[in-house]
Amino acid sequence: MKPGILLLADGTCFEGEGLGPDASALGEAVFYTGMTGYEEALTDPSYAGHLLTFTYPLIGNYGISGTAAQHKHACVSGAIIKQIARRPSHHESKNDLPSWLIEQGVPALTGVDTRSVTIAIREHGAIHAILAVGEQAIASAEKDLAKSVREATTVGLVASVATQTVETYPGAGPHVIVIDCGVKRAIIRELTRLGARLTVMPYDTPAQDILDRKPDALLVSPGPGDPTDLPQTIEMLRELLGKLPIYGICLGHQLLALACGARTYKLPYGHRGGNQPVKNLLSGSVLVTAQNHGYAVDGASLPADLEATMVNLNDGTNEGFRHRRLPIETLQFHPEASPGPSDAAAFFSRWLTAIA
Amino acid sequence: MKNHAVSNSATHRRSVLVIGSGPIVIGQAAEFDYAGVQACRALREEGCRVVLVNSNPATIMTDCEVADAVYLEPLTVASLEAIIKRERPDALLPTLGGQTGLNLAVELSESGVLDRYNVELLGTPVKTIKLAEDRAQFKEAMLAIGEPVPASTIVTEIESGVAFAADYGYPLVIRPAYTLGGTGGGVVYSEEELRETLQRGLEASLIHQALVETSLLGWKEIEYEVIRDRADNCIIVCNMENIDPVGVHTGDSIVVAPSQTLSDREYQMLRSASINVIRALNVQGGCNIQFALHTERSEYQIIEVNPRVSRSSALASKATGYPIAKIATKIALGKTLDEIENPVTGVTKAAFEPTIDYVVVKVPRFPFDKFPHADTRLGTQMKSTGEAMALGRTFEAAFVKAVRGLDLGYETLTGTATQKRSDNEIDNILCVPTHERLFAVAEALRRGRSVESIAQASTIDPFWLYKFADLVALEERLRAADNDADRRQAVEFGYGSLGIARLVGKEPAELEPAPSFRMVDTAGAEFPARSRYYYLSRGERDEMQVPEKPAVVVVGSGPIRIGQGIEFDYSCVHAAWALQKAGRAAVIINNNPETVSTDFDISNVLVFEPTGPDEVEAAYRATNAAGVMLAFGGQTSINLARELSRRGVRIIGSDQHSLDMAEDRDKFDLALERLGIARPKGQSATSFDQARTIASELGFPVLVRPSYVLGGRGMEIVYNPGQLASYIETAPPITPGAPLLVDKYLRGLEVEVDAVFDGDDILIPGIFEHIERAGVHSGDSISVYPTQTVSAALEKRIVDVTRAIAAELGTRGLINIQFVVHKGELYIIEANPRASRTVPIISKVTGINLVAAATRVALGEKLRNMEYGTGLIPRMPFVIVKVPVFSFAKMRGVETILSPEMKSTGEVLGIDPTFEGALRKGFIAAGFRFTDEAHRGRLLVSICDEEKEESLDTLRRYAAYGFTLVATDGTHRRLADAGIPSERINKIAQGSPHVLDAITSRSVNLVINNASGQREISDAYRIRRASVDAGIASLTSLDTAQALISALESTSGPPHSLQEYLRDTIAGKTAQGLSQTTIGVIKDVDAHVQVPV
Ligand SMILES: Nc1ncnc2c1ncn2[C@@H]1O[C@H](COP(=O)(O)OP(=O)(O)O)[C@@H](O)[C@H]1O
Ligand SMILES: Nc1ncnc2c1ncn2[C@@H]1O[C@H](COP(=O)(O)OP(=O)(O)O)[C@@H](O)[C@H]1O
Ligand SMILES: [Mg+2]
Ligand SMILES: [Mg+2]
Repeated sequence: MKPGILLLADGTCFEGEGLGPDASALGEAVFYTGMTGYEEALTDPSYAGHLLTFTYPLIGNYGISGTAAQHKHACVSGAIIKQIARRPSHHESKNDLPSWLIEQGVPALTGVDTRSVTIAIREHGAIHAILAVGEQAIASAEKDLAKSVREATTVGLVASVATQTVETYPGAGPHVIVIDCGVKRAIIRELTRLGARLTVMPYDTPAQDILDRKPDALLVSPGPGDPTDLPQTIEMLRELLGKLPIYGICLGHQLLALACGARTYKLPYGHRGGNQPVKNLLSGSVLVTAQNHGYAVDGASLPADLEATMVNLNDGTNEGFRHRRLPIETLQFHPEASPGPSDAAAFFSRWLTAIA
Repeated sequence: MKNHAVSNSATHRRSVLVIGSGPIVIGQAAEFDYAGVQACRALREEGCRVVLVNSNPATIMTDCEVADAVYLEPLTVASLEAIIKRERPDALLPTLGGQTGLNLAVELSESGVLDRYNVELLGTPVKTIKLAEDRAQFKEAMLAIGEPVPASTIVTEIESGVAFAADYGYPLVIRPAYTLGGTGGGVVYSEEELRETLQRGLEASLIHQALVETSLLGWKEIEYEVIRDRADNCIIVCNMENIDPVGVHTGDSIVVAPSQTLSDREYQMLRSASINVIRALNVQGGCNIQFALHTERSEYQIIEVNPRVSRSSALASKATGYPIAKIATKIALGKTLDEIENPVTGVTKAAFEPTIDYVVVKVPRFPFDKFPHADTRLGTQMKSTGEAMALGRTFEAAFVKAVRGLDLGYETLTGTATQKRSDNEIDNILCVPTHERLFAVAEALRRGRSVESIAQASTIDPFWLYKFADLVALEERLRAADNDADRRQAVEFGYGSLGIARLVGKEPAELEPAPSFRMVDTAGAEFPARSRYYYLSRGERDEMQVPEKPAVVVVGSGPIRIGQGIEFDYSCVHAAWALQKAGRAAVIINNNPETVSTDFDISNVLVFEPTGPDEVEAAYRATNAAGVMLAFGGQTSINLARELSRRGVRIIGSDQHSLDMAEDRDKFDLALERLGIARPKGQSATSFDQARTIASELGFPVLVRPSYVLGGRGMEIVYNPGQLASYIETAPPITPGAPLLVDKYLRGLEVEVDAVFDGDDILIPGIFEHIERAGVHSGDSISVYPTQTVSAALEKRIVDVTRAIAAELGTRGLINIQFVVHKGELYIIEANPRASRTVPIISKVTGINLVAAATRVALGEKLRNMEYGTGLIPRMPFVIVKVPVFSFAKMRGVETILSPEMKSTGEVLGIDPTFEGALRKGFIAAGFRFTDEAHRGRLLVSICDEEKEESLDTLRRYAAYGFTLVATDGTHRRLADAGIPSERINKIAQGSPHVLDAITSRSVNLVINNASGQREISDAYRIRRASVDAGIASLTSLDTAQALISALESTSGPPHSLQEYLRDTIAGKTAQGLSQTTIGVIKDVDAHVQVPV
């Protein structure tokens, strides 16, 4: 058994069993409350730069299928797990989670009191941390963490997971350009399944390049980090306002808010899981949603042109808005689910119908 | 339906009728008391007046504190209509009383009663209820919304079932419509089985209809608990995975929450399907959906939908902390999920899905320890009486604790009785599951059988088998060599000191890692919660918030089993309430998910753990408790006294010394001798020869029972040496360590008292008299309060003796004593220093809260300073009759004759100004149908020789009442001699048409058969069994038969609420001077005084 620790910037230390080669990983310690969907979460680009704690204690039970992945590789910096399954059982399983994490080079800490980790994060707020595996990494963890805290930045997270080239997906329906800030495969799959023709473009594509392709609509994808780290993208969106229908999900929603003149801010410890209740202010109905974000749009800062459409029932934060005149609509949560509930899946077809 | 906004009730206090689920039977247990109590509290929170009807007196919902008007009346349409007519409720909430409540609501609606009295049906509409219940309509509806269901056909006669089989082949599943717990259903593998099962199923169905369905055996069985409001908002509270695949009823399966082997895609697929279904059905409230999920194809089929709260919803509520019944009630009143507060966090709304950071395991509790001859195979028909649940930070911990919590003596998975089975037997159990399968799996693993091979035989998913294999390996390692690492691992995995001691051969000094209490908060720690609901983990951070007030621990009674049922939950809950009133913080420890006591709203701290010494001690220390109360949790908690005292845990109430004196036969005998109180003579035998000698010295009949044998054979009366020999043949071996107790059997009236003693004064609210003579277990006999045939002098003697015993034993709190009056002499059968089955009943009908009195005594208060009075309390001017209810239809192969061994699962109460009226209501509530057609029919009698003479008067009354008596030779001749006409019928050996034919063809509709025989093979047994299986009432004691004819000959009064009975009585009593409280004084009130209507 190899020792491992999770050391938080406030000095709190959790001990467990280290998984994988001796190494350490730095990042913001966060927790995910979904009871299933670890493969999706570990490969979700929005988790880039994060040390992900699973609040559910048994992770890896049904193995790794490969087909549930949301990105070509694992995106988290490290994983913190109470009990990892070494002998999964599922007809789709191609690999067990511990082996896969090692293959992916993701250090992990297991046998940890994850509930206490979660409480520490909740009480402190999102916090920098280091996950160290092996004696050596543990010995230097404190020093490494201090250095990393000094240099901490979210800049570059999007670039680390977003496409740098243009990718296209055929379809008979409307042409949608997806601005990739760290898009999930489920979004691509959902849109193509509904017949859309997709062009996936880098997050720093100039507005004119987009207009040149004459899309029917633009979808700004989710992604990791602070939206204010992407001034180029915000500028691009500002130029496109009024020129074509624009939709945004998660980071995309925040970027659009900024482009329209609203403000964003960092949540105390984010929303990450599949059980967040969101009220649709237009219909009055409640959706149970999949979420994964550390930043949010300040509902009070929405300019007169924007109308809040969705609100989180737990903490009252903004979960979506629409433009009063222009075909602009956004969602903070993930209608593509994966992982999580698909209560909001209908948004994709609604958007496609609206532009068809 | 109309949806009144709740605010409308501001002007008029809305009155809502709630129907309970009646007596506890297999398939319908305490979960509906839990749901009902929550519902009543929620209704009152919303300002409604609650009218409650339930015939079950052991429930908490039938307390005057819980509802505004409590009717302990039969759950029949006629009785409900009379209550509706009196109370004129504005609305009816039908979905909280289980299948019974639901069926009644449908009948009330269809018979026009609801319309006639303008009663609005709240929540899920009748149309939905019917749609979900009618298997044919349900399937059509599912196919219409694109949800898959297994191919099937609805049949109303056998031949169409046979035709379906010709197309689809075997195995097939038979599922009767409108039944409880799958009564009458099953899997069939051949035409012969099909015919037999189908016949039984059609007979069990309320509408004589059954579904013949293609088999889903071996698929994963998954359940979802869904809630929907009128605004169409839907949430999933919890999903659950059965370790036993489809084919074993979920009630009998080991169930895990949340699902463990489903991928997110599968989880979400079934979640979406659940919402699709609940929307299509227009459910408003809670709903349970059962799925079968294919293990290789991620394809699913819908098994069943229950549009009401259920056993599973109780489990889901306890598993997550989300109070489904409460929320469903508010939804029924018109609220939406986003308007209702989440009671756990206090800040968020009810519109969210709980997420948990622990694993929950439920293990069923079967009654087979009592009925070793029963058919123990598990199938689509439920057989368990209760369940134990546990929470753990790992599956292993939750599972081990759940198994330990069964109170069956299992502390480890290996080394159980199953270890004695041959490989062949083990293999059989793996393939054809019985209650023992879990241990057969463990034993197979121990013998080195591979996971793959066990998976193949049992169709249990390897995921679970690997977990079991790890546990078995851990146990084997500890057995081979005690070592620290494995010991710590075992402690983390939920093993207790007893289990570890068994494995390593010595008692561990202390369990390491140390206990740490974790909070159940519905949110995986995402939000700070104000929950007081905890479970135990090891070596983690302790989250226990020590109550500000001095705490007292109340030990609960664990899973419901025959002999220890819901009545102890009643006592625990009242103890908690009494503690709170006395300014203490109540800490409840219990592991039964069905109960009210494990509702975190009841106590200040709920510890959801098995009630073993380790866990009780941990709860006591973690809460800094002043003491532990053991008297309310039944015999199992009393049994903890010695070990807890040894560990220095303070027991409050009767102390260890006092409990021991009551429990230890020799010490108790000495105490009685000192007091000069008689008890039936008896001795323990350590060999067969000695038993025979003792028996002949005492003189037959004698009552025999093995001492302290878990899962052993019960008590029996034997009339001669031959019977003694055959008893001993099948009993566990007699050894000096496990002697056989042989008592003189004394025939006579059995009476029972419950009392509270404080060291100076005694409080006896009343004395019960049994209808059946001693020899029928007190739990199985009909009992009556106030006594009808006991003289004032005898009552005085009972009071004096009770007081003397309580004083001698040093009782501080409750004591329950059973007596037999033999030839005018009073003998004591046993004294239980604890709560009993009769405590809730006597408390309710006298208005004297015995548990509260006992709790206050335990805290040091004196009875004379309380409001209850002392001595024997004057009798109430009305009569109550408790009638036992059995679940024999679900216990195939079980002998039904009443005996000293308890067999009933529940009970009902009849309450009326007259004895006969109360008796009549009691029988009706217990399910006897008093219609001319059913009861002026044909009565099959078969009376044992000893009682032929005595039976004549009773049988003459049946004949005079209009029954045609049908009898076999002996009885027929004796009847003829006495001038009572009867038809002769063949015994089985005399050839067809014989008695069994008459029963199966239902050409008789009542059976009186009291002949005891060579049990499972005798004619008498077969007659009784056939009657139960055919749904024909069968009486096995002449005393019961006499009571029934008295009930038939009489009439009963209109319904009154308990509040009315008590109010009228208190008013009357004060006039007569309630202050007469001198010990032993009996007020001679005429038992037949009419209550003014
Ligand atoms: N088609 C089927 N094939 C095999 N087993 C079945 C089938 N349908 C139901 N069962 C089993 O029978 C049990 C009882 O069936 P269910 O419809 O849930 O009745 P109940 O009303 O008694 O709950 C289920 O829990 C399941 O294990
Ligand atoms: N000596 C006896 N004579 C007659 N009946 C007895 C005698 N002992 C026990 N019984 C009958 O057996 C029943 C159960 O015996 P009891 O000692 O009360 O056992 P339990 O602990 O199961 O309640 C009693 O209710 C009574 O009817
Ligand atoms: Mg069912
Ligand atoms: Mg008894």
